[in-house]
Amino acid sequence: MAEPSVDPKLLEILVCPLTKGPLTYDRAAQELISPRARLAYPIRDGIPIMLIDEARALDDDGVAASTSAG
Amino acid sequence: MTSGTPILFDRAALRARRARAAGNFAAHDFLYREIADRLADRLDDVVRQFPVALDLGTRGGLLAEVLGRRGGIETLVRMDLAPGFVSPGPGVVGDEEFLPFAAASFDLVFSVLGLHWVNDLPGALLQINRALRPDGLFVGAFFGGATLMELSDALRRAESEIEGALSPRTAPLADLRDAAGLMQRAGFALPVVDCETVTVTYADPFALMRDLRGMAETNVGAARRRSFSRRATLFRAAEIYMAEHAGPDGRIPATFDVITVMGWHPAANQQQPARRGSANARLADALDAIEHSTGEKPGSH
Repeated sequence: MAEPSVDPKLLEILVCPLTKGPLTYDRAAQELISPRARLAYPIRDGIPIMLIDEARALDDDGVAASTSAG
Repeated sequence: MTSGTPILFDRAALRARRARAAGNFAAHDFLYREIADRLADRLDDVVRQFPVALDLGTRGGLLAEVLGRRGGIETLVRMDLAPGFVSPGPGVVGDEEFLPFAAASFDLVFSVLGLHWVNDLPGALLQINRALRPDGLFVGAFFGGATLMELSDALRRAESEIEGALSPRTAPLADLRDAAGLMQRAGFALPVVDCETVTVTYADPFALMRDLRGMAETNVGAARRRSFSRRATLFRAAEIYMAEHAGPDGRIPATFDVITVMGWHPAANQQQPARRGSANARLADALDAIEHSTGEKPGSH
């Protein structure tokens, strides 16, 4: 079964709660990536979890991968 | 939240309580529903339409139900600390202290009973204002003033009698004057604040405490005591509560002071306060009174 998708209108207005900077949507990993904060916010059942302490910290590779993709 | 803000409330504890409450909130939602209803009524006096709105602390979407077709809302984005309260979307799990929304995203932001557990209220209000479009409206209600004074007093006295010690039992709350100042500091235009007291009656203090748990409104003060209260202390507190406050029918009242705030994101075409000294009618004439000079003139001091 396909993952429930995030409302596209919602994606347009979401920013990183920490930096208020832009996010890139990693559809495969179901994550919203904040390059500036080096955090990846998970999307669970189509709901973005925009909590700093639920986010995955990115190493340098993660940041490089997300910036080259976005 | 800025560094240097004192940590008054334990947001992680609040999140855990919200998550626990999400499953059975319908059994404890009457106060939330009542306040949501009163906030929604505020839109009746507003002509503007609000296509894109945000519901902070959504608790399962009751506000959407209560709003009906008011305000011309086409999209209502829902946010809560607990995932169980957010679906079905569009919604996000988020924290009022760190709003995840771009500037100028919304025409209207609601916060129903979501701001009294926020550590940095000025910061949260600033972020809300920032998320509003020009001439966008913020309507919020939160507990303040003397909320749960009967319970906190009974607990304090019972604890001192039985354990000979005191721990902070209820949360530090904002009052009306704080709220007015904060709205202004956060840069809202035409701010309006008021306070209404809602008195709820319960069969006994334990019913009140059960309801508070069901609403996820038990104390999450950072300085609260972490261990369970002794049974004896709770029973003594209940005795004191009954003795001091029970009515002729044996039921006990619980006071909730609800502070309501409203303010607009500034816009050029908004109504402005009149310039000082620009009046062209005398107040004394309007009141049909005789004017006595105090000897002072504007700008003379």
